[in-house]
Amino acid sequence: MDARSWSFLMRIFLGNPRLKRIPGNRSGLPDNTRPKAPAQQAPLLLAMLVALTPAALYAGDREQAARMHSRLTGVPPSEAVLQQMTTEIDGGDPVAAAYIAMDDPAFYNVTVKNLAAPWTNEAMTPFVPLNDYTATVIGLVRDEADFRNVLYDNVLYIGDTGGLPAYNTNNNAHYEALEASGADLGDSLQRVTQSTYTGLPSQATAGVMTTRAAAQAFFIDGTNRAMFRFTLMNHLCNDLEQVADVTLPVDRIRQDVSRSPGGDSRVFLNNCAGCHTGMDPMAQAFAYYDYEYDDNPELGELVYNTTGMTDPDTGTRVQGKYLINATNFEHGYITRDDQWDNYWRMGDNRRLGWDGSLPGSGEGAKSLGRELAHSDAFAQCKVRQVFEQVCLRKPGDAADRSELDSIVSSFRSSGFELKRAYAESAAYCMGE
Amino acid sequence: MPAIKEYDIIMKIIKRLHQPLLCTALVALVALTGCKSGESTESLPNTQNPGTGQYSGPAPATADVQAFKLNVWDNLSQGNRCGECHNSSGQSPRFAHEGDVNIAYAQANPVVNLDDPGNSALVTKVAGGHNCWLSSDQACADAITSMITGWAGGSSGSVNRIELEAPALRDPGGTLPFPESSGTFSTTVYPLLTTYCSDCHADGDTRPYLASGNVDTAYDAAKSRMSLTAPFSSRLVERLRDDRHNCWNNSCEDSADEMEAEIQALADSVNPADVDPDLVTSKALTLGGDGLLANSGGRFEDHVIALYEFKTGEGTTAFDTSGIEPSMHLTLSGNVEWVGGYGLSFGPAFTDDGTSVRSGKAQATTGNSRKLHNLLTASGEYSLEAWIVPANVTQEEARIVTYSGSAMARNLTLGQTLQNYDVLQRSTTTDQNAVFSTEDGANRLQASLQHVVVNFTPDQGREIYINGEHTGDVDPAPGGLLSEWDNNFALVLGNETDGNSPWEGSLRLVAFHNRALTPAQIRTNFEAGVGQKYYLLFGVSHLIDVPQAFIVFEVSQFDSYSYLFTQPFFVSLDDDAAPSGIPLEGMKLGINGRETLTGQAWSLLDIELNSGDYVAGRGQVLSRQGTIIPVEGGPAADEFFLSFERLGDHQNVVVEGSLPPAPTLPELPEAPEVGLKNFDAINATMARLTGVPMTNNEVSDTFDTVRQQLPSVANIEGFLASQQMAITQMAIGYCNEMVEDTTLRSAFFDTGFDFNLPAGSAFDGGNLDLLTGPLIDKMVGDSLAFQPLAADLETELGELTDTLSACSDCNTTERTETVVKASCAAVLGSATTLIH
Repeated sequence: MDARSWSFLMRIFLGNPRLKRIPGNRSGLPDNTRPKAPAQQAPLLLAMLVALTPAALYAGDREQAARMHSRLTGVPPSEAVLQQMTTEIDGGDPVAAAYIAMDDPAFYNVTVKNLAAPWTNEAMTPFVPLNDYTATVIGLVRDEADFRNVLYDNVLYIGDTGGLPAYNTNNNAHYEALEASGADLGDSLQRVTQSTYTGLPSQATAGVMTTRAAAQAFFIDGTNRAMFRFTLMNHLCNDLEQVADVTLPVDRIRQDVSRSPGGDSRVFLNNCAGCHTGMDPMAQAFAYYDYEYDDNPELGELVYNTTGMTDPDTGTRVQGKYLINATNFEHGYITRDDQWDNYWRMGDNRRLGWDGSLPGSGEGAKSLGRELAHSDAFAQCKVRQVFEQVCLRKPGDAADRSELDSIVSSFRSSGFELKRAYAESAAYCMGE
Repeated sequence: MPAIKEYDIIMKIIKRLHQPLLCTALVALVALTGCKSGESTESLPNTQNPGTGQYSGPAPATADVQAFKLNVWDNLSQGNRCGECHNSSGQSPRFAHEGDVNIAYAQANPVVNLDDPGNSALVTKVAGGHNCWLSSDQACADAITSMITGWAGGSSGSVNRIELEAPALRDPGGTLPFPESSGTFSTTVYPLLTTYCSDCHADGDTRPYLASGNVDTAYDAAKSRMSLTAPFSSRLVERLRDDRHNCWNNSCEDSADEMEAEIQALADSVNPADVDPDLVTSKALTLGGDGLLANSGGRFEDHVIALYEFKTGEGTTAFDTSGIEPSMHLTLSGNVEWVGGYGLSFGPAFTDDGTSVRSGKAQATTGNSRKLHNLLTASGEYSLEAWIVPANVTQEEARIVTYSGSAMARNLTLGQTLQNYDVLQRSTTTDQNAVFSTEDGANRLQASLQHVVVNFTPDQGREIYINGEHTGDVDPAPGGLLSEWDNNFALVLGNETDGNSPWEGSLRLVAFHNRALTPAQIRTNFEAGVGQKYYLLFGVSHLIDVPQAFIVFEVSQFDSYSYLFTQPFFVSLDDDAAPSGIPLEGMKLGINGRETLTGQAWSLLDIELNSGDYVAGRGQVLSRQGTIIPVEGGPAADEFFLSFERLGDHQNVVVEGSLPPAPTLPELPEAPEVGLKNFDAINATMARLTGVPMTNNEVSDTFDTVRQQLPSVANIEGFLASQQMAITQMAIGYCNEMVEDTTLRSAFFDTGFDFNLPAGSAFDGGNLDLLTGPLIDKMVGDSLAFQPLAADLETELGELTDTLSACSDCNTTERTETVVKASCAAVLGSATTLIH
């Protein structure tokens, strides 16, 4: 890196014309070195940033350790940690080095949190407060649990530091306070039984799908198809577009789906049906769930029609949202229970790799969660997500895909510990 | 030998308690015209109003004769209609006897079917081409049906009985099967797909992967989108021709022709084959040839004054078949197409290959439209009823049905704005454009077939019913009178009179009633549905030991592109027969010799036909559901059959084939080896390096402010100036807090940098190393090859401190702190901590 670039990089900070608008800024930095407008400088800065990189491509053990730590945690290592990791790498065990890095609290507070945060909202943005969904993912990773439980276990993680408001099914205050406290999420989450805290029957729990955050995001309004679609996207790495199959039976497509949208039934037969043939029979698993709120969606809670309850809209346990817009196609499917069937065990989507030891059908979200989590696609998805987070890119060539397969195998043989996927991905991408 | 049995589907004809008051008024409107003779099938268009003189014969002997007179005789006895020949001295039957309506009544009875007006000899004769006074035999038949239905409404206790009649039994015909291999496909259709569709439909992009690099994958995806028996109806062709979907060479028509030709070439390479011999099939049927009419009446139309059923299916006129004169026929112009299964489709203006077509519109003449003015202002109330399919939920201020003079002057309009229905109306309590809409956010309007009724009464004002239910919306304007309606306006469908407010969608039926329909009547009309329905009886006696056994579907043409099959049931036409323990599994619909690839709704059916669930005459219900399957050659040509995985002792074991080849994932361009830290990582890094906790109020406030401005993805090629500014603010915030806190700064600058020296001397000589040393060691790191050289950093930081400390009147310790903050921020906010 040349001196001119470095000088420029420093001066850009000093010349920031917005400094005085920073809330609470008392720095009083001098204003006598104000250079060009930032927008003009950005391309130069970017060029300079890239110019910094070549040395990283051919790194020694120490550089590999530093990169591995930063990729896994987002923060640089202390000198002592760097030394330990360097030693492990030098000894031919980069995976061990990765596990050292993952002892850093930032692995949970930064990396795992940002892996899960986009899964908890429809916009798929990471800019959301900590919530029970994210915390549960962090906890399962920390405890090196079988990560497949994330979609079906009766599990929840709550904060165990003092001064927090209690877990509340009506708001997210508990987790927001935990996050605001700056607590080490690797050390301040406690595994509890979800049903104890949410009031759901234990058989109605389904890991993160039945957390309050997931309910607020995906059971709110609508038809509950969102829960299925976003679970598919976030945990099987497929949007409906990728799994659309128009050749499957249409018998479970609900009445609310127009068979002639805009007066053109070809659209249904060639497009709509492709997604709904598979989605509707599986989304039926959520037929008893809803998210109820008054005016403010932030202050609502997951509700579930338990055995013996009768929904006033349907006369059964099925939520009214499953029967809305019934006149769109009166000959469509009428949901009467939460029986789900996986039609994707037929046709092209057999390639998602369903577990042959499972029946491919069931009742309710828990068994559906198991069906999804025990697929090959789930394992591949988790590894792929970790790979992209640690390697900062998608697997792009045959070598990457081969490595991905290898990490998936390790993920399986480890008992589906996600940290294993992190460690091996970090080792693969630590540089040469 | 076909047997005829009564089937217990009973459709009650709605009793008509009140005949329209308008009938007497109509008498004055009609005029006598000339005479035609004979039974020629020649079409005899006549657009003149029918004429009738003042009736001076004997009074109607009964109420039923009176009903006959008002509904039928008054409309047909004129000289330009049936009265031309079937008069007192003309051909028999003399149901248009001008001298004695009681004789006419007696003559009419043998040629009408009050239980099933549509099946009256009077109707079928005209429908068959016998002296229709319009250009469409169907329109005349419908008009006479309406008249007889009006008459029948006066008869009490009438019910319609649908009789199931066994069709002629024949085996499914042959088909054109898709070739086993993709060989011919690869040289016909495939080159077009890879040339023109690969930007989107290649591997890993948008499904279907029609332009996959693997021809087998493409072939597999294309099969359900090609029809070898009717290439023109292939989805691949229709997307180009009808949807104008990414055509090439600036001509969708040419593109579609090219695609159709290649599919035809593929079809030509195939030898016709019999139905797959492994299939267990029923007998075969066509809709046009074997379908039994399943609906005849059932709608409440006592007060209908204008009725459009759009049955004609061709030409540029949509007929008013209400039977109420003057007939308010509509002239079609612009982008209007007939919808299969009855209807009109209105499209936007477009240009293809240099030809411009205006948006669609169907308009009546001002003179004929005066019927609405005269009859609705007389009654002071109305119902506007329509079966509507909006093409989308994005159009605004689009006119669906309007009786208006211009964009700003109207009597009545039904329109669409996004997902709302709008009703604009003139009355004595409003201006001429008073708007009444369905509630925002209720999303009442959907882009699917909807039954919509707008009611108006002086008491209730306007009300909107959708699919038989009142929306609950309350007219903001008080009720009023329609007496201020303008009689110079015209009825227009699908647009405004000026053509500038086009609506996109389909109308399957439109009716005006001069009395507001009651909620029950609205519900009745909704439940009656729209379009012609048939029963198809698929013979299965050759498969099971039950005589005259059929699986029956109610079938209709759903729209131009599909058939609707609903509510299958099993029945034997032999009342003494019943099934006993017959398994029925995996029923599929077949068309033109092969199972249809899409829309199968009963392929997982698993049911037993047994006497316990079977009722003689009614049968055994197999499913309450329905489905649609694609049209191929049209209702007259397409031949349907059923196939079964198991029916009785016959079984076709279906084994799913092996998986098609997986899409080949493309090689991605080489990605940068480094990437940006995200917002949380940057925050954590700065906290870790400075020792300032993230919970510090100042820095957490700054973080909350700039959080979404910081990077959220690793892609370094997406780095933005705004992100750099946010990083700058974060770096300054952290450095400021560290330097302001004597404990933290002492811990960081553990080299002993002296903050008590003024700026002029604090950075002199070796003092500078006391500043740069910790900054470089702790923020950049030691002995890391990818980081900048320490010497370079020291030089830069030296220049920076020189610049910042060389100012007049600032040789103070405060200035020293400021320079340290700046130096700290320069390193902390740099690429050394931003990327990894």
